[in-house]
Amino acid sequence: MPVNIIVCVKQILDPEIPSRDFRVDAEQREAVRGAANLVTNIFCENALETALQLKEKSGGKITVISYGADSTEDALRKALAMKADAAIHILNDGQAHPDPLSVAQVLAAAIRKLGEFDVVMLGRESGDWGVGQTAGLLAEELGVAAVAFVDKVEIGADGLQLKRQTDVGYERVAATMPLVISITNDEHNVPRIPKTRDVMMSFRQPLTKWTLEDLGVNAAEVRAGNHYYAVVDLFIPVQELNCEFVDGDTLEARVEKFAQRIIEVTGSM
Amino acid sequence: MDYTLSEEQEQLRRLVEEFVGRDAKPYLDKHGREDFPWPLFRKLGELGLAAIPFPLAYGGGGLDYRCYALVLEELSRLGTALGSALAVHGLPQLILAKFGNEEQKQKYLPAMARAELLGAFALTEPHAGSDAQAIKTRAELRGDSYVLNGQKIWITHGGEADVYLVMAVTEKGLGAKGISAFIVEKGAPGLSFGKRERPMGLPHHTREVFFDDCVIPQANLVGNAGDGFKVAMTALDSGRITIAATSIGLAQQALDYALSYTLERTAFGKHIAEFQGIQFMLADMAAAVEAARCVMRKAAYLRDSGLPFNLEASMAKLLATDAAMKVTTDAVQIYGGYGTSEDYPVQELMREAKISQIVEGTNQIQRMVIARELLKKLRQ
Repeated sequence: MPVNIIVCVKQILDPEIPSRDFRVDAEQREAVRGAANLVTNIFCENALETALQLKEKSGGKITVISYGADSTEDALRKALAMKADAAIHILNDGQAHPDPLSVAQVLAAAIRKLGEFDVVMLGRESGDWGVGQTAGLLAEELGVAAVAFVDKVEIGADGLQLKRQTDVGYERVAATMPLVISITNDEHNVPRIPKTRDVMMSFRQPLTKWTLEDLGVNAAEVRAGNHYYAVVDLFIPVQELNCEFVDGDTLEARVEKFAQRIIEVTGSM
Repeated sequence: MDYTLSEEQEQLRRLVEEFVGRDAKPYLDKHGREDFPWPLFRKLGELGLAAIPFPLAYGGGGLDYRCYALVLEELSRLGTALGSALAVHGLPQLILAKFGNEEQKQKYLPAMARAELLGAFALTEPHAGSDAQAIKTRAELRGDSYVLNGQKIWITHGGEADVYLVMAVTEKGLGAKGISAFIVEKGAPGLSFGKRERPMGLPHHTREVFFDDCVIPQANLVGNAGDGFKVAMTALDSGRITIAATSIGLAQQALDYALSYTLERTAFGKHIAEFQGIQFMLADMAAAVEAARCVMRKAAYLRDSGLPFNLEASMAKLLATDAAMKVTTDAVQIYGGYGTSEDYPVQELMREAKISQIVEGTNQIQRMVIARELLKKLRQ
């Protein structure tokens, strides 16, 4: 049964840069790019890998969508090199801090413009802000069900068989399509490295570009964002190391005082 | 000529960076560098990296030497283990692509591109290194077979490789014009291998290769009889670009380690990066790497454009390998005592740098080539 899959990806600042090189602009409340590369968010790549494996078994089509600045084209080219069938770039031309809801609204509009789909896969969260709301909000916008923290997707009798991670283990979910899935990482969905030839070919493949106006959303509203979400402050936590000696006449007294101090210190955190 | 990477080249570089970080480094950390890293070599084939500049028609990447050099440079950031393997594998591929007949190309090139077959290049003998035309290994035509007798030494991938491109004398007394090139497959009767040689810093060792009435089909002659020296030198001319590229990757890695260490290590109450003595070393190291890289890219550019590139290739090999030696040595110096410790990475890079000044034509030979090219132009 061929499956029509949409994978939404996000380009972020490389989270692997040495912590020494990481800076934030407190005033703009954003990370400073510096010399760091822009990369595709790892969970998004896990989602794409999951989609590729599903398509290899079931057949179908994978369309990758990303809402981002001009540089986002790199992430989409890489998705094509990994063998996604089509890529759509929705240009973000001026929304500095897109909140998850406006991203979900933009993605939903793009998906509606595409027409039919069976399943949308997203990374469970992004490696920059780590909010983790986009998948759920997108399902809401599209009016379909959502399953979160999925690490395995297989064709089931009546739709998809999903395995999702929970705090205490995992759950198996039988889901009917269409639906939205947020994908988490697992040893089986380590993203493949594209082949040299496919990297080169990806630059010769068409890449669809849409503006917010093309999607028929209220572009001004999207750019203004939603007020439920605001970055109030952004800073790099300062590590403080204090060494304190606990004294007392007997061992019992020292242990007692030691325990007391732990309660005081952790209580104040 | 452009000094920046195109988007395609940047994506290609990242592909290699990912492979190095995700597959190559963990594998080498776990298994060491003692044995040939077969799984990594096969993976290079899977990713389409085992035949980058060779023709598409035979399964190659069909890309240019600038891309090839870029891949080798990025790959060599983890030391030369894989970069040199790929460069050596490239020599027989280049020879077969350029001088092989259709049948030979069909038989070997696609399998070598898929990394199913590993290649080796066998020219050097115990008494013939720089003076390559003094080789003594003989190949005699008997019926429809060639029979080889003799000995090769320092053969990278010796014993591991499946396909050996062997230079042997077919007609005595003609010097360079009496040498021919042959394909010898592993398993040929009379072909055997010596014990592992342990050249300093060449990760997966070399071996002697012995030919004792080694019989191969006449069809394994590559090019015409008597063309062998030309064949070998043609391969080495291009090979010099690859050695330059691997050396630059090695040097860049040493520089990056050293640079980052100067912001970690403190002495006399400040980071050692604050001291001018260290700063001058870092500046010289960076300048040496960048200069070598520019000449290497120019040599690759000339080759890609179908222009003569021997002069620049020799300059690139000379400058890049000398830069690698100097930069890795200085990196050890900046790390101080820790630099000599096997628990720190820079000593290994330094050990690996040395041999690059010797292989693929010693740097003295490079100077001879450069001078010869200069004087040839003057005399014309």
